[in-house]
Amino acid sequence: MREAVHVEKPWFSASIWEWIFTTDHKKIGIMYGVTSTLFFILAGLMALGMRLELFSPGAQYLKPETYNYFLTVHGTVILLWWAIGVWASFANFLIPLMIGARDVAFPRLNALGYWMFFAASVIALITLFPGNQIMTMWTGYPPLAAKEGVGFAGTTALFVFIWHLTGFASIAGAVNFITTVIRMRQPGIGFFNLNLFIHGVIAANVIQLLGVPSVAGAVTMLFLDTYLNTSFFDPTKGGDPLLYQNLFWFYSHPAVYVMVLPAFGIISEIVSAFARKPIFGYKSMVLAIWAIAVVGFTVWTHHMFVSGIPDWVKILMSYTTLLIAVPTGIKIFNWVATLYRAAIVYRTPMLYALGAILMFLIGGLTGIPLGLPAFDIAVHDSYFVVGHFHYVLGMAVTLSAFGGFFYWWPKVTGRMYSETLGKTSFWLVLIGSNLLYFPQLIIGLMGMPRRYYDYPAIPEWVTLHQIQTYGAFILAFGLFIAIVALIKGALTGEKAGPNPWNSNSLEWRIPSPPPPHNFDRPPKVEENYCPHKYRK
Amino acid sequence: MEVLARPYDLWEGIYKIWLIITIIIYAVVAIPALYFMIRYRYKPGDREVGDQEHEGHWGLEALWTIIPLIIVLYLATHGFAVFTQMRKPPENALELKVTAFSWGWMFQYPNGKVVVASAIRDTEDKKCRPEECYGVDGVFQQYVYIPAGVPIKVLLTSQDVIHSFYVQPAGVTQDAVPGRTTYTWFQINKPGEYWVFCREYCGQWHSRMFAKLKVVPKEEFERWLRGELADSGHESGKGAVANINAEAQEVVR
Repeated sequence: MREAVHVEKPWFSASIWEWIFTTDHKKIGIMYGVTSTLFFILAGLMALGMRLELFSPGAQYLKPETYNYFLTVHGTVILLWWAIGVWASFANFLIPLMIGARDVAFPRLNALGYWMFFAASVIALITLFPGNQIMTMWTGYPPLAAKEGVGFAGTTALFVFIWHLTGFASIAGAVNFITTVIRMRQPGIGFFNLNLFIHGVIAANVIQLLGVPSVAGAVTMLFLDTYLNTSFFDPTKGGDPLLYQNLFWFYSHPAVYVMVLPAFGIISEIVSAFARKPIFGYKSMVLAIWAIAVVGFTVWTHHMFVSGIPDWVKILMSYTTLLIAVPTGIKIFNWVATLYRAAIVYRTPMLYALGAILMFLIGGLTGIPLGLPAFDIAVHDSYFVVGHFHYVLGMAVTLSAFGGFFYWWPKVTGRMYSETLGKTSFWLVLIGSNLLYFPQLIIGLMGMPRRYYDYPAIPEWVTLHQIQTYGAFILAFGLFIAIVALIKGALTGEKAGPNPWNSNSLEWRIPSPPPPHNFDRPPKVEENYCPHKYRK
Repeated sequence: MEVLARPYDLWEGIYKIWLIITIIIYAVVAIPALYFMIRYRYKPGDREVGDQEHEGHWGLEALWTIIPLIIVLYLATHGFAVFTQMRKPPENALELKVTAFSWGWMFQYPNGKVVVASAIRDTEDKKCRPEECYGVDGVFQQYVYIPAGVPIKVLLTSQDVIHSFYVQPAGVTQDAVPGRTTYTWFQINKPGEYWVFCREYCGQWHSRMFAKLKVVPKEEFERWLRGELADSGHESGKGAVANINAEAQEVVR
């Protein structure tokens, strides 16, 4: 039998055969990254289509069913491929390097996880063919989602399989990363001197392990209701549609933290490296991450405030929802305090990270009222909600993902990206995103419902939709420049040394790009090792 | 001063509190952050490395845990109080039974009168001009008459998928769930025309699922309810209701 860890050449000179059969965490990380980014682009193009449609009231270019299909794929792909999938890329490439391991604990399981993710990608692409569209929205609420057909759900089975396959990949990844971090750390690296990125990823993976079974069960029942005539969610036969919502959000609210905790980790890595000083309040950062992960499981009914659940449940989960703001606030205050008496070097990753912090603050502050049933009742399922989660996902997560790309690009490719292109991309993305997402908050307060293909010609609404569409194109152009900067850097950039950012973290102590087996000898860390420090 | 609609007046109160707190918190974080970003820039020869000993501060960290905790507990408790008030329909409320279907609502008044607000389903949709798409034709899409200054309690259910019922001026949203009856209430004080939208995604024509409330003085409403108002579309309405119901049933099947 072939050895599980079988790497001879560095990742960039591997053959197609090696890419397919590899169990190397670096190659798998890159495959996750490429897949996630390609699907991010696909979902982004669909969003541009929707923005064009909404530029003016009335039917423009799309049929309502096409619009609903775009909206479903945009939501599903951005969440499962981008906001969750892209962290599998970072985690695969970086975790073994950060803890001084040669690979992850279960390399074959790791490869299997990626190929399940790949299978989900194939299913997502199948929906592009006529007759296979899914129009369930990413939430897939029954009874709608259990009604196949163009006016309703489209092809329910494809929606269910996407969840099953990405869920399998998530669980495989979670088992693997949690075991790797528990068992394979170098002596001297403990719970309180792990990289904050690792804390973020592991907390996210614990959530995956506990939460994914719930959503997998929900969509399985949806599948049985649709095709085998069961009646879990069918009220005409004694089922209850709200059962689905409870099972779905029991995972899908904590899933928000699966998306955002690794982003917090990346922001911490970048801010500390470019401030050239240790992260402020490391221990409270760690505790905040884990507090968010735990309390995150007790807040799910705020997605159901108007669905007819008892009022006392709303009040209970209103308190727990607002409590999440406390550890989140601690993280933001600590980042700001890290800047105090720092020596801030303004490179592209730092711009992205600082942008992510200040924009995430808007996302967080607009989330607080949504946790209050008294406020939520007027804006539930309105554009206010859309604006809120785009400040979190479109800004905090996407800005940190691109910040992370720029930050570790010299490590992954061995070459430096162009600083001018990088910084230009940041400003375009920041301006475009704000033009896109801030009007969503305003139009939501005015009452505009979400998931609308068309809207009445109320003059303020038309203006606000037009600003959004202009913003969307500026944002798209900015992201295009960012991708150009990265690709150009990988092909023709200057050679980068092993530690261009003067970070003390372990991944910067090996050559760039990392050799096939990462560390020739197990790296010894100094006493009082702390990854978030300046290193000459 | 009389408010335009209830319980929107209560919502506005909590909205203002939130807005003020939000602006203050944003300023408290962003102003020092921007100041540090400018003040503590890397300067060759002068400021090349940050302060390595500055790793945390017990008092500060406790401070920014406890103060936000107090703020959120206050907000949640205040929200609790307001919500309890919001959810309680006044005793004298007029009860309206509303049944949602794909894509519209059927309104039943206490005396048995029925009004239907259904999306104009134009398959060749390119022909539908914006003002027509959201217009009231008096047949499929009828005005929903509401008396001004009278609280309305809405009992909601759905006959197919989950829909919702959002009264724009009153700022209330409630889902219409098949197999369940949910409720909400509102009161509009000023006569005029107002929007109702569906806010829970319900398929192809979700975006055209709207109703127009026609809020009229109480006496006029009474006359309309008795069928004495010429504009009511009463007779043609009956036929349309039968049609809509047949179609809705078909959709269910």
